[in-house]
Amino acid sequence: MMHTIRVDRVLRETVNTPYSDLVTRATGRAVRTSIRQTIAALEGGTALLDFSSVGLVDFSCADEVVAQLLLERTDDVIVVLGGLREDHTETIEHVLTHHALAVVVQESPDGCPRLLGLVDREAQEVFERLHAHGAADAETMGQHLGWDAERAQDALDALVRLRLVRQEGLTFAPLPLL
Amino acid sequence: MSRVVEIPAFFDDKGFEQFAHSFSAGPITDRMLFDARGAQWASPYGLIGMLTAGQAVKEAGGPPPAFAVPEADEVRRYWVRAGFFGPAAELFEIHGKVPKVKVEEMSDVLLGVTAVRAMEDVHGVVGRIQEGAARILTNELGLEPAATARFGMALSEACQNIVEHSGTSGWVAVHAYTFRRRLGGRRVVVIAVGDAGVGFRRSLEATQARRFGDRWGDAAALEAAVIQEVSRFRDPGRGQGLPGIKRYLLRWQGKLSIRSGTARLAIVPPWDEDVPMTESLAPFPGAQLQIVIPAKEGAPTP
Repeated sequence: MMHTIRVDRVLRETVNTPYSDLVTRATGRAVRTSIRQTIAALEGGTALLDFSSVGLVDFSCADEVVAQLLLERTDDVIVVLGGLREDHTETIEHVLTHHALAVVVQESPDGCPRLLGLVDREAQEVFERLHAHGAADAETMGQHLGWDAERAQDALDALVRLRLVRQEGLTFAPLPLL
Repeated sequence: MSRVVEIPAFFDDKGFEQFAHSFSAGPITDRMLFDARGAQWASPYGLIGMLTAGQAVKEAGGPPPAFAVPEADEVRRYWVRAGFFGPAAELFEIHGKVPKVKVEEMSDVLLGVTAVRAMEDVHGVVGRIQEGAARILTNELGLEPAATARFGMALSEACQNIVEHSGTSGWVAVHAYTFRRRLGGRRVVVIAVGDAGVGFRRSLEATQARRFGDRWGDAAALEAAVIQEVSRFRDPGRGQGLPGIKRYLLRWQGKLSIRSGTARLAIVPPWDEDVPMTESLAPFPGAQLQIVIPAKEGAPTP
């Protein structure tokens, strides 16, 4: 189950501002705390942080709202991002790379998800393959890509560590994005 | 008898050094007269520099300096419209006629002198400037449409430096104007941010001084913050603001300069002849940051 959290609404409810810009570290901390409370009330699944009505996002706020939220990883809820403009993408990618983090971006319900942040090429290939062809174990993934199973396993493990795919036993599956 | 602090006729970042030299020529608690009668033009960096000096005197417990306003009526009017005399009246004894002109958003003053005391002020600055910035950056400077958001981010990070590091309040102002000599007379947008706070050296001293040893000073502190991108906070997520500003300026061939204490560091684009680091300058309180974003080559001249 995917739960959508409108980041612009969280901003307005959290900070007394007539603007829709996510700026300053203090604002980011307050918004993250509010998002964290919403996520804590969910019973698993995926939380989509919807940035579509957010104005600009500065580096300090992106660090607090996105990077620190991913670093906390205290819940069973997976965080994905949506509604990102070019400048949002650029800023968030910068802070994620700084922390060696990555996140799934889902721009539309029927669109193909993509990764944002620091992910190596092999993990990227495995991620795309999983979304195109569905769940697989390391051996099957290796066969699809012409790799040995150990190489596929390493890439899948990297994606699991960053919470970009789910692992159930020996099988790896895309995040539930619907 | 007051000590006279000369305000340069043409008061930009270069003229600032003449001003700083004059300001620091005696104790900060001296009775002083800031003589701006001969002023012909001041950049936002110059306007904020004068306010910073006044703030430093106030914080040191000195008597409010006298301030002789420019003799030229158009200069006085411009300074009123640029929002200078409002905060100046709280720091100086103003001598001379200040015209009652409405402080307004002119085409060239994207943001008049605005106090930055708390994070809420940063929201206001960034929110208010976007419409005017979009018009100037895309129409006059020929930058990409996304430049407005990137410009807002740079402005936000620059202002946050005041709140986070200075230990006091500061000011920000943004003007657009045309270079007289440099860049073949191209349009530029200039962001100036300044405060009379503790400066980079004291802000970073606790975490960085030992690493630099005998080299530690204003220049080393600027080098640590701007080039090595360190922060005084141990949190690894901190210190991303200045690197972010540098990234954008590289893309736009913009210039960043930061002066603190007795040193000044500049990230110099190919069109400018500044030096990357200047040391042994006249001491000046706090920190002063300037960002210059030039029009793209071939952009239409308004």
